[in-house]
Formats: sequence, C-alpha cells, structure tokens
Amino acid sequence: METMQSEYLDEKLDQVRARDFLQYRSGDLPTWCPGCGYFGIMDAFYKACREMGLLHENICTVSGIGCSGRTPIFINSYGFHTLHGRSIPVASGLKLARPDLTVFAVAGDGDALGIGGGHLPHVARKNIDITFILFDNSIYGLTKGQSSSTTPYEMKTNSHPVGNPDSPLNPIRLALSYGASFVARGYAGDPEGMKEVIKQGTEHNGFSFIQILTPCVTFDKTNRTWKNLKENVHDLRVGDTADNMEIAMRAAENQPFGVGIFYRDKERMGYQDILKGLNT
Amino acid sequence: MKEINIVIEICGSAGEGTISAGEILSRFMSSQGYEIMSFDSYPAEIRGFGKCVAHTRISSSVINSPGKLADVLIALNDGHSISQLSALKQGGILVYDSQPAKAHEEDQSVLGWADPSVVSYGVPLAMLAQKAAGNLRGRNMVALGAIAALFNLDRDGFTGSIKDRYAKKKQIVIDSNVNSFLEGFDWTRENIEKKDDFTFDGVELTPQGEKLIINGNQLVAKAALESDLKFYAGYPITPATKIMEILSKELPGYGGTLLQTEDEISAIGAVIGAGYGGVRAMTATSGPGFALMTEFTGLSHMAEVPALIVNSQRGGPSTGIPTKTEQSDFNAALFSGTGDCPRVVLAPEDTASCYDATVLALYIAEKYQTLVVLLLDFFLSNSIRNIDVPGTPGPEMLNANVAPDEEELKDYQRYKITDDGISPRALPGTPGGISFYTGLEHDEYGRPNYSDKGHLKMTQKRYRKHDSVLNEAPSPQVSEFNGERADIGVISWGSSAGAAHEAVATARKEGINAASFSSMMLCPFPEAALLEFTDRCDKILVPELNYQGQFADFAAGIIKRPIERLNFITGRPMAAEDILDKMREM
Amino acid sequence: MPTNDHYVIIGNGPAGNNAATTLRDKDNEARITIVSDEAIPFYYKPKLTRYILDEIDASDLLVKQLSSYSDNGIRLRLGQPVDKIDPKTKTIFLHHKEELHYTKLIIASGSGARVLPSMRPFADCLKFISTYNQVMEYKDDIHKAEEFFIFGGDLVGFKFVRLLAKMGKKITLLIYPNAFWPFNLNDEMEGAIEKSLTGMNVELMVKDDIKTISALQNGYNVLTQKGKEARVDMVFSFNGLVPSVEFARGCDLDIDHGILVNETMQTNDPDIYACGSCAQIYNPNINAYTTSIGWPNAVVQGEVTAMNLLGDNRVIESVGRKYFDLEGVKIKTTWWEDIEELK
Repeated sequence: METMQSEYLDEKLDQVRARDFLQYRSGDLPTWCPGCGYFGIMDAFYKACREMGLLHENICTVSGIGCSGRTPIFINSYGFHTLHGRSIPVASGLKLARPDLTVFAVAGDGDALGIGGGHLPHVARKNIDITFILFDNSIYGLTKGQSSSTTPYEMKTNSHPVGNPDSPLNPIRLALSYGASFVARGYAGDPEGMKEVIKQGTEHNGFSFIQILTPCVTFDKTNRTWKNLKENVHDLRVGDTADNMEIAMRAAENQPFGVGIFYRDKERMGYQDILKGLNT
Repeated sequence: MKEINIVIEICGSAGEGTISAGEILSRFMSSQGYEIMSFDSYPAEIRGFGKCVAHTRISSSVINSPGKLADVLIALNDGHSISQLSALKQGGILVYDSQPAKAHEEDQSVLGWADPSVVSYGVPLAMLAQKAAGNLRGRNMVALGAIAALFNLDRDGFTGSIKDRYAKKKQIVIDSNVNSFLEGFDWTRENIEKKDDFTFDGVELTPQGEKLIINGNQLVAKAALESDLKFYAGYPITPATKIMEILSKELPGYGGTLLQTEDEISAIGAVIGAGYGGVRAMTATSGPGFALMTEFTGLSHMAEVPALIVNSQRGGPSTGIPTKTEQSDFNAALFSGTGDCPRVVLAPEDTASCYDATVLALYIAEKYQTLVVLLLDFFLSNSIRNIDVPGTPGPEMLNANVAPDEEELKDYQRYKITDDGISPRALPGTPGGISFYTGLEHDEYGRPNYSDKGHLKMTQKRYRKHDSVLNEAPSPQVSEFNGERADIGVISWGSSAGAAHEAVATARKEGINAASFSSMMLCPFPEAALLEFTDRCDKILVPELNYQGQFADFAAGIIKRPIERLNFITGRPMAAEDILDKMREM
Repeated sequence: MPTNDHYVIIGNGPAGNNAATTLRDKDNEARITIVSDEAIPFYYKPKLTRYILDEIDASDLLVKQLSSYSDNGIRLRLGQPVDKIDPKTKTIFLHHKEELHYTKLIIASGSGARVLPSMRPFADCLKFISTYNQVMEYKDDIHKAEEFFIFGGDLVGFKFVRLLAKMGKKITLLIYPNAFWPFNLNDEMEGAIEKSLTGMNVELMVKDDIKTISALQNGYNVLTQKGKEARVDMVFSFNGLVPSVEFARGCDLDIDHGILVNETMQTNDPDIYACGSCAQIYNPNINAYTTSIGWPNAVVQGEVTAMNLLGDNRVIESVGRKYFDLEGVKIKTTWWEDIEELK
C-alpha cells in the first residue's frame, strides 16, 4: 500500500521544540492565521496538561466545526473532530462510556452558542464531567466574518454590513443560569490565567464551562481586538470560594470583562456519581 | 388432525383493561401450546380518542402474519367498537355488554351497527363485574370469562394466567380479577346458548419447549443487553420509547449507562462519542428522530465510528401517524445524508429475528466501524409473539473490534488502507494508538487531506467494507420452486415478509405457481441472490407498506424489469389475504 | 334542504320495507331506520316451507340484498328487539340498552305464532314454523324425524302437512274445525281436506283435542281427550298468528289484539303509525277494527302508511288475496274478530 504524504509542513517545529510543553503538541502545525488568539489558548492548554501530569493517551479532545474545530489535531492525544455544534453531545457520550478518560470539548461562539446552543443547558444541568472551552472571538472566522451569537449590537460584519441587528448573548450568564457547576473566563492574552482556569476546570468533578476571550485578527478589526481586549479585561474579585451565584451574575458583565472563576459548586455530584447513587 | 386459526380482538377505551385482557388471553393460549401473535393498536380516529384494540391471532400451526380480519370482537366500549366492526369477518362473533351501567345514546351501541351475519352474544359485563368485585373495573375479566366459556377453555388454567398477570399486585386486585373472570365464565355457561362453530376442543398441538412471550422492542433491548451493550442515548418517541425504558431499568445492572438527551441529534452524537470510546452503543428512534440523526450518519461513516440506530417506522412523513405502522423509511434508512455515504441496514422480518438482527447489528457496527440502521416498524416493535428462547451470542459475536497489533502501533495509521476496508482501531487510552478522527476527508493518519487521489482511495476503502459485510450477512429467505420456474415471484422485506411468505404458501396450495424471496439485509443488498431468484420468475410482485413503492423502486434498479406493486398505507400490518388477492389477479 | 327527520320503522317485513322505500322515494333527506328483532335480512316468509323441502336455497329466501339498504340510505338494525316505546319523549328503548329517537314511527312488527291457551303448559314440547330462525333450527330435525303430530291446522299448517307427506313422513293431524285460521271450516271444506289427504300417510283427527303432551328421551307422547295416543318425533302447532306488539303495551297506545289505527293507519298518537299484520284497522263499513293478513296487504299498507305519514290522507282498503284457494275451494278470508279462542 502506498502511504499518502501529509501536506503539512513542520518547519516551525524546531522553534518550539525547546519548550517543555511540546510533548502535548502534535506534529501538525496549526493552520490558524498569524497572530490568532488561539495559539495562546493552545499554549495554556498544553501547560495545564503538563502541570496536571495527564497521560497523552488518556486525554480526548472533542471539537465541532470552525476555526476551533481543528484544535484536537494540534494536540498530541486522542482527538475527535465532529460536526458543527455537536462537540458537547459527542463528548458527553464519550465521557459516560469512558469515565477513565479526561475529556475536553472545545467550540467557538458560533458552534457552541449558535448551532449547538441547545446542548449547553442540558450538559450543564446534568453536570457531566467534561471540560468545555469556548473559543469566543465573537465572529464566524472560518466562513470569513459573519455575525455570531456574541457579536456586539450594530457591529458591521460581512453578513450585516450596515450593522448587526441582534443583541449578543452573555455566555457566562447563560452558563450560570443553566446550572453549570464551574464557570470561568480567560483571556487569550493571559496564558497564566487561562492555564489556571483550565486546570481548575479539569480537576472539577462535573461540567466546567470556560469562556476564553480571543480576538479574530483577520475578520474583526474594530471590536474584540488585542488592544480593546487588553484595555477591557480585569481580574475578577468574586472571592476565593466563588460560590455565590448572585455575585457571579453581577460580575458577569459583557464589558469590561472580568476574568477568573465566577462560580464553583464543589458539593454538587458529577453525573456519573449521580447515576451510580440512583442505581444502587 | 383438527387445526384452529382464530383472531380475537378486544376493543375498549384506555383504562378499561383492554390491553391487559389481550395480554392474559395471549399468555393463557401460549401456555396451552398455541402459537400466538398479538398486536395492540391505538387508532387515532376522530371519534375514537382513547380507543385501543388488542388483536390476538391464535393458531395450532405456525403464524406468519397477524391476520387481516377478526373472527371475534369483544366490545368493552361500544362507541369505540363500532368502527372496529369493519375489521370483523362476515359471520364473526360479537360479545357486547348487554347491561351497560347507562343506556347508550342513539347509534352509540355496537350491536346497532353489527352486520346481520354476525353472531352476537350479549353478556352483562358491567353487572357481573359489579357483582364480583363491587365496581366496574373487572368488565374486561368478565369478558374473558365469557370467551373462555364460549370456547370451552380451561377455567382453572385461565384463572392461573390471571393470577400470574397480577402476581405483584395486592391480593384484593388478584381476587377482584379472578372473581370477575369466574362470574363471566359461569354466567355464560348458564345463560348463553352457543350459536357459532368455533371450538378449541380436539385441536392437536405439537408439544413446545419453553417459550418467551415478548415483542420486538423487548427483544431488541434483551439482545442488546446480551450483546454487551454499554451505552444507550435516546429521546422519547413512539414507537421506540419502550426500548429506552427497558434499558433504563436494565442497563446499569449490566454495567452500562443510559442517557436521555435533549434531542435526537444529541442522542446519536452521544452514541457516536461512546462508540468512539470503544464501547458498544446504540439509540432507538422513529422517523422524525431519524431525520435529525441524519446529520450524524455522514460522520459515523467518514470518521469510521461504530453506531447503531434502531428506527421503528411509523406513519410518515413529518410527525405523521405516530401510532400506526408503515414501511416508509426504507429510502431514509438507506439513502439519508449527503455524499457517498454507505451504511448497513438490517430489517428483521418477524419478532424472533429482532433478537438475531440486533446481535448482528452490534457486531457489524463494531467490526466494520460503521453506522448500522436496524429498521423495525410499529408493528414489529409492539406485536407480541411466543417464541423459543433465543440462544445468547457467543464470544465471536461479542469481541468484534479489529485492534492494531504491536507492529501497526509503531507507526499507527488510524485509516490504514486494507483489502477488506477495515482499518485496525486503537481505542482511546491505548498507548501508541493516539490518533485523530475527523469528518473531513483525511489521509491514513487522519490528517485532513483534500487531494483527488486521496479522496478516491479513501472512498474506495470505505466502500470495500460493504462487500465484506455482505459475506457475513444472513442468506435471504427463498421459498421452494414448483419446478424450474414460477409464474409469480414475490419479493418482500421487513414485517411484510411474513405475510408474503404465507400468501405464497397459500397460493401454491391453490395452484398458483409462485415463489417468494425476502432479505433481512437491505444494505448492502444481496443483489446476486435476488437476480438468481427473479431470473426464474415470470412476473415480480413487491408488497410493502408505503405509497411510492420505495423497495420496489430499489429492486427495479437491480433487476431492471417491470415490477407489480402492492402498496398500503392503512396503518395496519401487511395482510397475507391482500397479497393473495393481488396474486389471483395477476 | 336537509331535514332532521328520523323515521323509524319497527319491523323488517313487507309492510316495513315498503314503507321505508316509499319514504325514501318521497323524502331524500330524512334519516330512515328499520329495526327488527330478527337477525336476518328481509325474507319471504311464505317460502319457508319450500326451503325446508330443499326446493330453494337459503339465499333464495332473501327479498333484498343488504347493499340495497345502504344504497338507499336506509339504516338497517337487525337482531335488535325493542323493549318499549316512550311517545312522550319520542324514544324507543332497544333491548341492548340503546335509546333511539324518532320524529315519526311506523310499527310494522308483524305477528308471531299463536300458542293456544290450553297448550301453554306444554309450550316447551311445541314447534312452530313462523320465522327463519325456527326453520333453521328444525330443518335438519325435520328431515331426520319419521313421525309428526300436527294440530290446529291453518293454511301454513296444511301446506306443511302436504310437504311432510311428500317427504314420506307419517303424520297425525288434529284439526279444530271451529278454530281453523284465518277462517272457520265448514263441512264442505273439511271434506275437501279429507279428500286431499287420501293416499298420503296422514291420520286425520277431528272433534278431539290434546289432553297432555309429555317429552320422552327422544320424542313426545301425545294423549288426546278421547284417549288416543301417538308416539311421535316432533309436535307442530299451527294455530294462526298473533300480532307481535308486546313492546308497545303500556305506552298509552290503544291496543287490542293488535295496535288500533284509523283508516289512515294512524294510531292514537299522531306521530305513530302501524301497518301490516300487527295493526287492527278501523273499518267504517262494519264499524269495527279488522286485521288483514297476507303479503300483498302488507305491501299496500306499508306504502299507504308512508304516504300518510308524509302528509297524505289515503284510506286503506284491504286488497289482493281476499280469497284463498284451498284444494279448489275458494275461501274468503275473515277478520280477527271472527276468531274465537278455543274454550
């Protein structure tokens, strides 16, 4: 049998080979645009995995479609690139069938809140133990710049050239009201902060919702730019325990953005444990 | 040797114990050694809200179809039973309540509409129930008592079946039911002069081994549990819901997990997630749910992840007729989804084969890393048969995953090109097997690859699995030929196959030179076997329960000859009588 | 213009059927329902004897196909005895506990075999030939039986005797000359009967009466007043007909033997009519109520009743077979009042 040649170049590998999280990076180089916030998210992800000491073969990353969909291919672990909006159902089935695995689900704002928005309430209320990372750049990037569910009102996009008529969703407030037991926000320009919330989210037994604010350097030149983000992001001060829903809801402004952990319910059982409890 | 073949229908309103009376009748007749096929229906007629019918065919010989018309109609509810009279044979028997608690409004009495040829027996159901138990709940049991007395059935044996049915209930419930039955039996013995010819006296029965009284949904669930199913995700939908309900109860005991999802998209997504994780997983649905699941059929195929969807067909399209049976999802099962997207489709032909088909479906899904669609229908899901206890699947059926060997893990190619199309599959958690699954076209390592050469090679590889599956498919059922050729060849599938085989057997007795063919494996289809069959037949007939002749179109594409079609969308299962009529015309 | 009228006809014989078809003819919209306690469609009663002899098939007994009812929009309810009528609410109560509502009602329920009062203690031993079901029940037995005892004797009975004789059966025939139905026999007629029976295996008894009938293991023993004994297989009673109107009693309809109607076939309730052999019609010529029997009378009465119900005002005349032909002797039919119950 003839083996097909990969079309991917690995010339840049050398540049990163020296960094200690390289082991979690796959041999494939990301296809994202230069300057994309997603590179930062990946770096934080690799670091979090290394610090938690996860075995490569026990990590599974499930993605949907969009720029974020490619994520698993850049991770040196098992990965499943599924359908638009469906990373949550697939990740749920995987985790329940294989509780021994550490399961991540990743999705963009269009993926998770638009086409796949119906799944979020249910994975949250069931509290299935997956770590969900929302790559929120408030635009459809892969299809070249249309309004998404988090695009600000009146912003000009390729689908709404005279201004977006729709009001944006607030993903943190949604997650809180859906009953997610771990809700946090990171910012693509803050690798340490992201690493911290990803770590804590992964260690949390139950559904962890992590919104990462990130620019789309190609299709959003006005709103969520590196500059704007930098100016509008501040550290959350909701308390170390972060167990107060009211404070969390108040802190969950769309702008300025507080980053850190909004809410965490340590007492609540993960879905697997709930099922076990009910069936014995 | 005296034989008997009789269809008894009990018609009542929801809550009148119609279905449980039918169930007890079936259990009792089965315990006596008769073959039974029973079918509850809930016709959604304008004036029939809440109407239910327990249809039971009882025979001293093998049953292949439920029987079109009833010999006996027991009317627990006059209003509902009026429309059911059209399903009663000429000269049939009607048992009605002669002393209802309240007089009927004009035209609301079943007797008022009975055909003059009908032999009617008025039994004071309400009065006797009141006498036996102090309330009217036992009318269904009084009616059973009347039937037992009319047909001279074993009074004590019947009482035993009633006790078995209510064994888990309080003593007072058991007593009320038994007493109502006895009241009906004794009153009928005393007061009714038999005017019909039906009797079970002197019928000779072949001794039977242990029997399971079960329907298709229950068998699918049983087979899945015994085939090492570990994960089920589903969304409630008639007529598949029962599968989820059974598994919800049983699966944890087998070490599995059940997930009720927010919709069918999520259900098939979770099944594919679990299948990706390496456990056996399935979902069950019906037309509208299957339509949603279509989104995932391509992913299962492209990413080569095992999945099993049971689609119990109901009247369609759209929400359609949820409580009626149809075979109109043939095209959807075979062709839904986009792109070149083969999948495996199996359609059991009777209740017993629901077990084998499920075992096979889970095996094929796992081994060939493919989507399998198991096509049931409302009738197969819900009709009850007494069948031989199925043998549990052996280890060769249970451990079907083709795993990579050590050598292959050294440079693991998830989508390795192989002769049989099966690429060894390393499950997540396997060191060295790290791989990337994707719905994008990809190379052998799973990396996205859109080259024309690559797409062709991968498509060919995936299609090769189809050929391999066919080698393991059960052979089609082909009747004997009367000599070299047949005048009429009947090709059928799914729940219509039983009626078709029965009709052909009867036709041959009548001197019509006919033969019949059916295949449980619909996709890939045993085309060579079909051609071999049709080459020996002058005319071809395809009976099926859809309007457009979906299977007939499909078969015509294979045999490239004109096909006579017989299509019904009445919501009732295929009747051997109708196929026979058509054959007489041909 | 659709009407909400519901014409209900009790009885599925010649009078009822002719009334129904006439009503349908004149009123296309109304609901028409025929109710009958017999479970078989409209049949020729006079042909029952020929059917016993297998001269005709059961299907030949039927006057109309069932489809002709539905084609004409006439609802047929068979095997459904009427329990009672309530003229106040215009409701008919059927035996199976259903309430039927009418705007106009025609009672054409016909008549059934008469059991002589003196024979009531032995009713279980007696057989009659007046309905399809009776014939169906006895037909095989009649063929098997050898010896018969037949008493009373009326036109049907006499026909039956000749039929049995033709089949080679042995018959004992007891005739009540002053109670022959529907007329009294005179000597001339009696002579004619006797003459006609010559050569047949019939023993004729006159001026005697049954004392007792006792059921044996298989058959009956008949003992007469004069001490004669007959050991037979079957005993048949032919003592004429009585109107089948029990269900109508007690509802304020005027009833004597049959339901009393005026010359236009209307009862004392203006919405209820009666016709055929269940009715007693006022005859102004003799200032008395009379009953007419026979198929042709019933047919005419059915039609006239229907027309009057729809607003016409026709007066009934007894027509057709006023005379019966009995072995060459013309016999004028008589009216109900002429018949004396046997004392």
